[in-house]
Formats: sequence, structure tokens, C-alpha cells
Amino acid sequence: MGKVKAGFHAFFKSIGGFFKDFGEAVVKGDLFVKLSLLWVGAGYARRKQFIKAILVTIIQVAVIAYTFGFAPEYVSKFATLGTVQQESVFNLQTMKNEFNDYDHSFLILLISVISFVIWFAWLLFYIRNTTAVYELQKRAKEGLHINTFIEDCKELLNQKFHITLLFLPVLGVIIFTIIPLLILILVAFTNYDQQHMPPSSLFTWTGLTNFINLFGGGGITVTFGYAFVRILAWTLVWAFFSTATTYIGGILLSLLINNKKTKAPKIWRLLFVITIAVPQFVSLLLVRNFFADGGIVNTFCANIGLTGWLRDIGLISTSYIPFLTAPIWAHIMIIFINIWVGVPYQMLIATGVLMNIPAEQLESARIDGANPRQIFWHITMPYMLFVTGPSLVTDFVKNINNFNVIYLLTANFFVTANQAMANSQAKETDLLVTWLFTLTQDYYNYKMASAIGIVVFVICSLFTLVAFNQMIKGDREEMFQ
Amino acid sequence: MRKFKKIAAVAVAAAMTLSLAACGSKTGTPSTTEKQDVTLTMWGAEEDQKMLQGMIDSFIAKYGDKANFNIQLGVESESTAKDVVLTDIEAAADVYAFASDQLPDLVNAGALLCIDDMDGALKSYAGKGVADVKAANASGSVDAASYNNKFYAFPMSADNGYFLYYDSKLVSAEDIKTWDSLLAAAGKAGKKVGMTFASGWYNASFFYGAGFTTGLNADGTTTIDFNGKSADGYTGVQVTKSMINIAANPAFMAIADGDISNQIAGGKLCAVVSGTWDATAAQAAFGDGYAATKLPTYTLEGKQVQQGSVAGFKLVGVNAYSKNAGWAALLAEWITNEENQKIRFTEREIGPSNIAAASSDAVAANIAISALAEQSAYGVVQLVGGKFWDPTATFGKSITDGKLKADDEAGIQKALDEMVTGVTSPVE
Repeated sequence: MGKVKAGFHAFFKSIGGFFKDFGEAVVKGDLFVKLSLLWVGAGYARRKQFIKAILVTIIQVAVIAYTFGFAPEYVSKFATLGTVQQESVFNLQTMKNEFNDYDHSFLILLISVISFVIWFAWLLFYIRNTTAVYELQKRAKEGLHINTFIEDCKELLNQKFHITLLFLPVLGVIIFTIIPLLILILVAFTNYDQQHMPPSSLFTWTGLTNFINLFGGGGITVTFGYAFVRILAWTLVWAFFSTATTYIGGILLSLLINNKKTKAPKIWRLLFVITIAVPQFVSLLLVRNFFADGGIVNTFCANIGLTGWLRDIGLISTSYIPFLTAPIWAHIMIIFINIWVGVPYQMLIATGVLMNIPAEQLESARIDGANPRQIFWHITMPYMLFVTGPSLVTDFVKNINNFNVIYLLTANFFVTANQAMANSQAKETDLLVTWLFTLTQDYYNYKMASAIGIVVFVICSLFTLVAFNQMIKGDREEMFQ
Repeated sequence: MRKFKKIAAVAVAAAMTLSLAACGSKTGTPSTTEKQDVTLTMWGAEEDQKMLQGMIDSFIAKYGDKANFNIQLGVESESTAKDVVLTDIEAAADVYAFASDQLPDLVNAGALLCIDDMDGALKSYAGKGVADVKAANASGSVDAASYNNKFYAFPMSADNGYFLYYDSKLVSAEDIKTWDSLLAAAGKAGKKVGMTFASGWYNASFFYGAGFTTGLNADGTTTIDFNGKSADGYTGVQVTKSMINIAANPAFMAIADGDISNQIAGGKLCAVVSGTWDATAAQAAFGDGYAATKLPTYTLEGKQVQQGSVAGFKLVGVNAYSKNAGWAALLAEWITNEENQKIRFTEREIGPSNIAAASSDAVAANIAISALAEQSAYGVVQLVGGKFWDPTATFGKSITDGKLKADDEAGIQKALDEMVTGVTSPVE
């Protein structure tokens, strides 16, 4: 935990420094530094950095134009998310509908969030700018060289190349990740759903209502809490078993294929890799049809008498085996089918890692008289776990959100027999992520989907933090040197 | 919190009244001074594209002197229209076709133009008003296109219902009259009778037959009385017991929703409940014995009760945010008028909702469509909200699973109550 604490400490210290520098610049700066609080280009102009002065002035003008010209129409309504309902009147002369000047809640939310991000970026830029011109003042006082614009550009390609390189990725992350994420988080605190869909209706803030409903606080969605707990439990069970089975299966398979006694290992490997090559859409839908209530596997089981036997011992009550249509059966089958889909990937990873086990370790173990089983448990597995540990963590998180397998095997196919689940549009085989998909796709329940999305995010990040922290603790690397 | 909800409800109601009040139109005569440029987009099923292009061409031929048309045709299946339209209403097509069960959601989201407002435009250009359109189409289709007494779409076809396909070589015309005799005959022939129970679209047919009803409130919630007593004096428990008895028969096969075509082709069936979309599959499977008729009666408290059904239609609506609402409405009217419904039947064997088009000899000669027409006498327009589907599917599933037992009346009542709670819960 010490590392984490140190990290936090350094983080806040740098923020403090950032503001301290700004304060110092404002207090000790000359007239032009103070003037640059109003016109950001002033300091640069004073030091004859005219191009830079023009560039920052353009940014300032653009931000001012955006702030006073475009943003107010939306941001001013952020508190209510709009109040004017859409209305229209048909005009027979023009054959067109004439609309009033209606509010669009989602646009208000979107533009507001973008505005906040822009203003926050502007604030950082503004503070940084002031400290930068103060630096220039100090350099001028000490008689040091002041860069020309061309020298500044060259610096960006040399000493400050990291800034040039990171500019586009950071911009991309902000536009495609941070802004949508902020909107998703905000939607969880609104009533954006089928009854409140823009542009025809408005939605508004509702505080923590959605989370209270999700955790069983009652309200209008009586069974949401009931369904949430069960789906969460299955999600974790699924993530654990799907990760563990494919991991162990992959290692065993690659050991088997790499064994000296195995003939033509390349062909075997190829056969398994073909599973990866076929798109899951195709393979999983086919498998689903194989295991359907009236599918080929059921016909076969009925013909050899397995179905009848299972009914006699009371495991099933239907005239078929409900492989993918009854909760427990479907849970087990999905994990089994996932082994078939997931093992080849792990096999490839394991093959690579196994080839790198120091041969002398295995050799000395053999000389010391260890049997293959002991070698596996005491050398192979610890080594594997050490090397693939981080990827195991990401696999677990990936499986929490493993949409493909669950959706392709059960969507429009598995019908729950549990009325309380059905009343929340959930089913026993749903993961949180597929439930979220149904809620948004079929029921337009964006507010609940957002709330669930936040919960999934918290679970995944907590698990990742804890797991990684445990894994990198100590100097375990030395064990394998 | 509750108080806040009340206020919100009042506000929503007030807003609704305002928008309803605004749902009127300015009167006046269309100007003929200059030709407008009118750009429209239309969505239709992939297999109908060529036919729809022909209809667009004839529309332009008819109205080309009134405006300069530029009409784009896009592919969007009627069954998934709602999902795509509601993703971004303002970006959706001006004119689109959809299955009638999607109407409530589309109206609630404000995605459909109120056709009543287009009366003036229709009268001025097409020479017929909304009343004429309503009179020309079957009353069921007009009901399916109406919500809160307002008319929202043009009926296009009356083919979205189900009836009984059977193999006349294996079951006789006498056997198909009741579920009991049908199942007995199937058992004797070593075949099965298939029906989907795990879907509220299919399993409600037993309840509708016994006089139960479903409906839709103005706020989008669904009403359902399956857990009580029907107008005909039956209780929901009694109907469920009849359903359990059918499902428990070894000659009965419960088919998963969407799996019917596969099962027909599988060859285990001698009769199946399905709709016109499976006509080709049934014809291939039953060969010379291919026949279709209305649904059988079923035994309810010792009496024979005709099984009901859902009368479904395909409708063509106009986007409420269309830039050229008037012309979009005229295009929608055009592709659903009598001549074009006839074309639809001859080219694609789609059953017409237009009364005149449906009364032709060619329609009567079509086995599947005439069986559908026969069943439509017992058909019910199923206007329900989105919350209807999952709970009713689960209810049907617990019957075929054997989870509900015919002798456990309390258990059945509990399942019915839970289903009703889910179906009637508030929309969010």
C-alpha cells in the first residue's frame, strides 16, 4: 500500500506546485505578465514571440466566441435539461410541419459536458500560460536566450518530442472516451428512458433514484434489486469459471501438444487454431442450434435413451434435455462451450511461455528425481502464473464483460421461467453487460443501463486494482532468476 | 420523492395536453405558384425493394407536376423498424413500414406523425380524406393503426397473424376442429402438433378465446386481466389448466419463438400454429397434404371454446420530424392504396388490408391467406406496451416446462398474479 500512498502524495504535490507557480507569477510578474491575464498573448508579444502571441490569441478568441456565442443556449439549461416541450403545427400551404423552438435534453447534456471539458482545458492552459510568460520574464532579466518560434517548433521535435507524440492520442482519449464516459455517468442520475426520449419529450435530473432502485430500494422497479443480485452473482461465477477453465485447459493442451511423444504437433495446433479463425457469430450460432430443444444433440440423446434415463432419475421433467433453455443446464453448457472457444487462445499463449521455461531448471529437477507431476506443480505452474498473471487479471475482467458468448448463445433463445426476473427484463443467463444491452436496445431504459454500467466499472476497476497490487508486491521476480 | 413524482406526472400530463391541442392544422388552400423541391426517404423490407421502387415511380408519375421529387429508398425490415427509428428519430426515414405491435412505442416516443392532421393535405392532393382511408381498410387494421383515438399510420397488409397449418394426409378435416382430436390424431400418426407457448403473442390466444382482454393506457402502461375473471365467466386459472393439459399431451411440441420454420422442416410435425411467413416451409414439408385453416377449439371447463388469436398488420407511418410531412403522408397513402396492395399480393403474396383488394378471387384461392382471413373473425388487435413481452413469455415457458401443475390452482394463480404485476408495471 506504501506505493499507492506515495503516488497520491506526489500527485497532490504536483497540483499544489502548479497553483503555487501561478500565484508567484501573478504576484511577481511585470506589467505584461499581469496584462496577459486579460490578453494571453501580451507576455509573448513583449518578448517578441509574435507568432506565439497570435496563436494563443486565436485560441482565446475561439474560446470566448464559443463561451458567449454558442454554449449559453445549452449550458444555461443544464440545471433543468430543458423545459420547452416539442410542438408542431402542419401548414397546408407549404406542406411542411412547423416546429416551436423546443429543447432537446440530450443535446443540452452533450453540449454542456463538452463545454465543461473545454473550459477545464482552457483553465489549465490559462494558468500554464501565465507561468510560462513569467518564466520568459525571468529569462529576460537574467539575459538568457529567448526562443524564436522556429526554435520552439524544433524543440517540439527534439527535447519535447513526447508532447508532440502524445498530443493526438490524448485528444482522442478525451473525445472518444472521457466525454462519452462523463455523459454515461450523468445519465445514471436522470430519468432518460422510454417515457422521456428526446426530441419529443424532455428528461431531467432525478438524483440517486436509479441507484436506490438498483440496490433493491423499491420504488417503481420492484424487482430490479432482486434481478441485479442474481445477475451479479452469475456474472462473477461465470467470470471465475470461464477464466479458470480456459486457462488450465490451455496449459494442459499445450503441454500435451508440446510433449515429445506427440506426433505432428503442428497439425494439432492448427486444428485448434481453426476455432479462432471461424467467427464466433458462425460457430456459436451453430452450436446453439445443435443444443436446441429440438436440435441434433437432443435427437441423438433421445434415440440412445439418455433423455429417458435422465427423466427417470428426475433430472429433467421435459421430453428433451434443456441444454440451453433451463437455468442450471444453460449455465454449465455455456461454460463448457466457452472452453471450446477460449482454450485455443490460452494454448497459444501457454505455448509461447512454456518454451521459455529455463531448460536447466527442468533438467535439474529431473536429475533430482522429480516426477512429471511434481515438475508441473512446482516449476511449470508457478512460472506460468508469474508470467501470465497480469493477463489472467485482464482475462477475468474481459469475461465479466464477455458479451459475445452469452449473447450469441442465449439471446432470443433462453426464456426465463422466473417471473421476478422477467419483470425486470432479465434472465438467469444474463451477465450485467447483456442485461444492460437488453435494457437499452429493447426497452430504451438508458438511465438504469447507465447505473448498471457504473456498477460494472466499479467492480472491474476494484478487482483490477487489488489483483495487480497483490501481484506486483514484493520481489517475486527474483524467484525465477 | 413521491410528491416530486406527482408533480412530474402533472407536468407531463399538461405537456401532453398542450401537444394534443397543438395537433391541429392550419386551414387554407395549397399554393400553386411554384414547384417545391421535395426530398423524401422511405424504408421498406429488403425483399420488397424492387416493388417499392415501382410504387415510387408511379407516385412521381402521378404527382410530378405538383413538386420536384427526389425520393430515396432504403432497406429496413418492418420487424426491426422501431429499434432503428428510435435510435435517432430525426435521422430516420420520412416514410417507413413497421409491424403494428410497434405502434405504441413509436407513438410514445413521438416518432409518428398524427395522420388526422394530414386530412387537408390528403383531400387536396389525393382526393380522399382520412375517413376514406379508414373506410377502405379492414376495421381491425384501422384499430391497430390507432392509439388514443388518433390515427397514426396507413394500413399496408393484413398478414401478421397465425392460424393452423396441417398435413391433410395425416389428420382429417374432422380432427382439426378441436385440440383434443387433433392431438389424438397426431399421436396415432406418430407425429406432433407444434405451437409456441413461450411468447405472449401466441399464448394470449387461449385467453382471448375465453374473453380476456389486454389494452393500453394513455401513459404507455399495459392493462391485462388474465389473473381475474373474463367477460365470458372463465377464470385465468381455468384457462391455464387447459393450456397445461394441451402442453402435457405427448403429441404436443412446444416450439421456441423463432424456431418454428426449423421445426416444420424437421418433419416431426403434422400440424403447427404459425403465420403466412411459414407458408413455403409448410408447403415443402406437407407436400400434397398442405392445408391451412383457423385454429381449433380447446376444452375449457368441459366446454369447447374457440381459440382466439392476435390480428397483426403491417403499417406505413410518417416520421413526425419529416421535413416534408405533407408529401411524406401522400407517399405513405400511395404505397398503401388499393392498387398497390393488389400489386403487393400478386408480386409477394402479402395479404391485403384493403377490403376491396382482399375480396378478389386470387386472394381467396391462396390457402394460407384465406385461413388467416377465416381466423381473423376470432382475432384480437393486441395493443400492448413493451412490458408485456418478457413476463408473458416466462408464463408460457413455465407451462411447457412443467413448472406449473394442473392440480396446483394456488400456484397457477400466483404465477398469473406475478405475470400481471410485471406486465402492468409502470413504463420507465
